[in-house]
Formats: sequence, C-alpha cells, structure tokens
Amino acid sequence: MIGFEIIKSGLFTLLQDKGRFGLMHLGVTNSGCMDEYSAFMAQKLLQNPMESNILEIIFGRVELRATSNTNIVTTGALCEFFINDEVKQNWQTYKIKTGDIVKIGKILKGQRVYLAVKGGFDIKKEFGSNSTTIKEELGGLNGKALKNNDFLPYKEYNNTYSKKLKQKYLPSYDQEILTLRVVLSYQEESFSQEQKEKFFNNIYTITSDFNRMACKLNGEKIESSLDGIISEGISFGSIQIPKDGQPIILLKERQTIGGYPKIGSVLSVDCFKLAQRKINSKIKFEEIDIIEAQKKLKDFYGTFF
Amino acid sequence: MEIKIASANSVIIYFSDIISKETSTIVKNAYKIITSKNNSALIEIIPSYNSILVTYDIFIFDFDGIKKYIKPMLENISTQEEKNEIIINIDVYYGLDVGLDLQRVCELSGLSIEEIIKKHSSKIYDVYAIGFLPGFAYLACVDEDISIPRLETPRKKTPKGSVAIANNQTAIYPQDSPGGWNIIGKTTFELFDKNLDNLSPLNINSKIKFNSITQDKFLSNGGIL
Repeated sequence: MIGFEIIKSGLFTLLQDKGRFGLMHLGVTNSGCMDEYSAFMAQKLLQNPMESNILEIIFGRVELRATSNTNIVTTGALCEFFINDEVKQNWQTYKIKTGDIVKIGKILKGQRVYLAVKGGFDIKKEFGSNSTTIKEELGGLNGKALKNNDFLPYKEYNNTYSKKLKQKYLPSYDQEILTLRVVLSYQEESFSQEQKEKFFNNIYTITSDFNRMACKLNGEKIESSLDGIISEGISFGSIQIPKDGQPIILLKERQTIGGYPKIGSVLSVDCFKLAQRKINSKIKFEEIDIIEAQKKLKDFYGTFF
Repeated sequence: MEIKIASANSVIIYFSDIISKETSTIVKNAYKIITSKNNSALIEIIPSYNSILVTYDIFIFDFDGIKKYIKPMLENISTQEEKNEIIINIDVYYGLDVGLDLQRVCELSGLSIEEIIKKHSSKIYDVYAIGFLPGFAYLACVDEDISIPRLETPRKKTPKGSVAIANNQTAIYPQDSPGGWNIIGKTTFELFDKNLDNLSPLNINSKIKFNSITQDKFLSNGGIL
C-alpha cells in the first residue's frame, strides 16, 4: 500500500478538511479545520484543491513513514519539524521519498500544525467530508483521532516542485493581545450601551475551556437583559453570554442550536487566528459593521478559491 | 417576521417570540419553502422553535441581497399545518429497570406508572427542533400532568435510547450523553444511523407516537437493560 504509516500518532491528531455542510438541521456540526488560513495555504502551496483533506496536529509528537514518493508541506504553529532527522521549515513544500521519516516534535509557538500531502489522503468521505468529529463518530478513520499503526494512503507523486510562502504572508503568533472583530448580531439589543462598552473596552483571557467546540473567556462580566432565549441556530464565531457573564466563542464543532443570549459573532477569519492562541493569552474585541465584515471575508476566501 | 444579522455570512429569521404549535407550524412551512428552492448559495438552513438560521454564500448575496431574497418568499406564509399522514411509531419499554427516573416522575406527578405510560404513549408529538446531539429531536407537547422539570443535577451518562421528559417536551437520546432529562423508558429505535442516506429517520416535519411494549418484546428487539 502507498501512503504514510503512522508510527506515532501524537495525542490529538485529526484528519480534517473544509467541513461537513448541509446537515445542521439534523444536529450534525460542521467540524473542519480550526485554522483555515494555515490549512488552505498548505493546499495552495501543494497546488491541491481547497477541498483536500489535511492533518490537524495539536500536541505534536507525530512520526510518519512514507511508503512511496510524494510532496508534503506543514503550516500553522511553529514546531520542531524533521525529515530523516534533518531540520525543516513550515510553509515550504518538500519532496518525500520511499522510506522517509517525517517527524513533528514539540510545538513551539501557536497551537495547531497542519500537514498536507500532494493530492490529499485517499480516504472515503462521510457525508461529504473527511472532517473528524469524534462525538459524532464521523469522518477521519472510523470517526476517531489518529492512533499508532493507522495508515493514511495517498497517490504516488514523483514530480518535484518547491514552493515557499513569502515572508509577508507568514502569520505571527507573537502579538500580546489578539483583536477579534465582532459583528453585533442576534440578541445584541439585550445588551445595554454600558454592557457593550464593557465588552469592547476590556481585555479577556482564554481559559482552559478551549477546544474545537468553543473558547470560553474570562474577564469583565457582561450582562444581558434576557435570562435565556428560545433555542436557535448558532453560527460560527457567535459569542454566547451565559449567566456567569463570561463570553463563549462558538467554533467548528459547536452545537447546532442553543439557548444563551448572543451579543454578536466574531469574524471567521479572526476565529482562525484564535485557533492558534494558547490558554491564558489575551483577547480584545473590536466592532466591525456588516459591509466591512463581508469585504474582509471576500478578501480572505478570494485568495484561495 | 423579522430578519436579523446572525454573523457576517448568516441571518436569522424570527417568526414569533414564543414557543407554540402555531409558531412551529409557521417555521416548518417557511423551512419547506426555503429548502424547496434548492439554492446552493444557502449553505445551512437550521429550523428551530421560532426561528430559522440561514448561512449563505457571501459571493452571491450581501446582507441586503439575502433579505430581499428571503422576504418575498415568506410573505404569505401559511399558518395551516400541512397534512402529514406519516406517523413514525416508536416502541418503548417503560420499566423501572430502564426508566431511571420513572419513580421520580410518579412521585412528582402523583400518578401511577400505568397512568404515566398511558399519558406519554397516547399523544402524537410534533418535532419542534433538532439539535444538542445529532438526531436529538425535541418533541412536544407532553401532557401537563407529566410535565416534570429537569433533574437538578444532570446525569453524567444518559444511556443511548433513553426516552425522557423535560417540562412539556420529550425526547430520545440518540447516543450515550450527559443529560438532565427524566428517563422514563428505553427504545431500540435508531435516531442517527450512518447507513441511512439522510442520516436520521426523523426531520422537523415528522410526527411521532410512542407504543408501550413489554420487557420481553424490548429484549427480543435487541434492547439492553
């Protein structure tokens, strides 16, 4: 068989892609890559279709052995990265030969490393996607995270071309405070001017309740005049304010409906930056109007599609 | 009807601010109209109790554009329930060995187990929303005599197939999950099945009726106590 033998799977390595769409009315979440910038950039560097799948690696310590030739690229979090014990760089494609060992060691800056292969991995999609959602047992390999001795098949690829992302497109994970742009929406009217000012003028900290489903923050309490709402559809990036007043940003594996008041929604492109932040890092919110927000999304997706 | 921004690429349509059968009927009729357009620029359409969330392709619609597209479609929306003769019958074994809160429901309602079974299994329920877990359908309305509030402390694990009540709603847990609903019985009916083309035998338009079965029948259907 042609592909990668998984010698070490790492603690939480998931096969992902753009996500699973059109099933939210049945309670099935979108899933998909937490950081689309890094994931799409990897596909672009390999000249893959944007729909191709990719590995999302959160705790590092992954080791793969190639059983045939291909090209790979890693993007996202800065990490120790070796091919046959030789140090390599993210955001740059490499030729891989039969028998080569690819290693992702410690993650140094950021949270999630993406590893893509030329042509994507040859794995049957479930309901339109390879995205792994563990709680639904959908996607990936049998709906689970990668484990040792799994096998990820790909098609042999013998051409070599070397692509490296220009310096100016490299994301920085160094800013002390990450600004998330928010479109006021949903129950925003239930938050008084004073509450909104608190929300936009204070700095929040990412708590340990941060996973593929949501990111819970800690900071100045925000109050809605509503106790709860009738459960309704939840969009990507929406910010719930539960009774304790601490914002929760809903991400790729969010529940499809929910009953907490929401003040607005973080721009998806900023959620991708959030995906690379560690626990205890700082966040602030900034308002953006809908016209400007849509322009930002078009700029982002226009570069990839 | 009101169309509001939900996010940079989604809008939420509110039909009313209460939960009622009438509101639910309007939501279902609106959902049918929107989905019947088969417009691929509408990426997700999520109906719920009193609203529909629509995620759209921003390369096709801007916010004004999506409002102008949706509004006329829903202008003369019917408040009449569409005739839906298909009732999904679901066998339930109501017993103390699987109905972990049956005793509690007895105590809080002052009814016997037989009376609870009769009240729960004699109604035809509507689906008001689907969510929480894949295939988890919120069914209403439960007879007010057995409308029992959620447990004060949710269970860490509500077993798959549990049939449960929370206030005037009832539901089946499609998988093992934490949960705070009062479990009164268990079924072998699969609500979420990867082998089905459409993943779930239920949708927002389904009507559901429960049938009480014996422990023997439950076990012979493959049920697990």
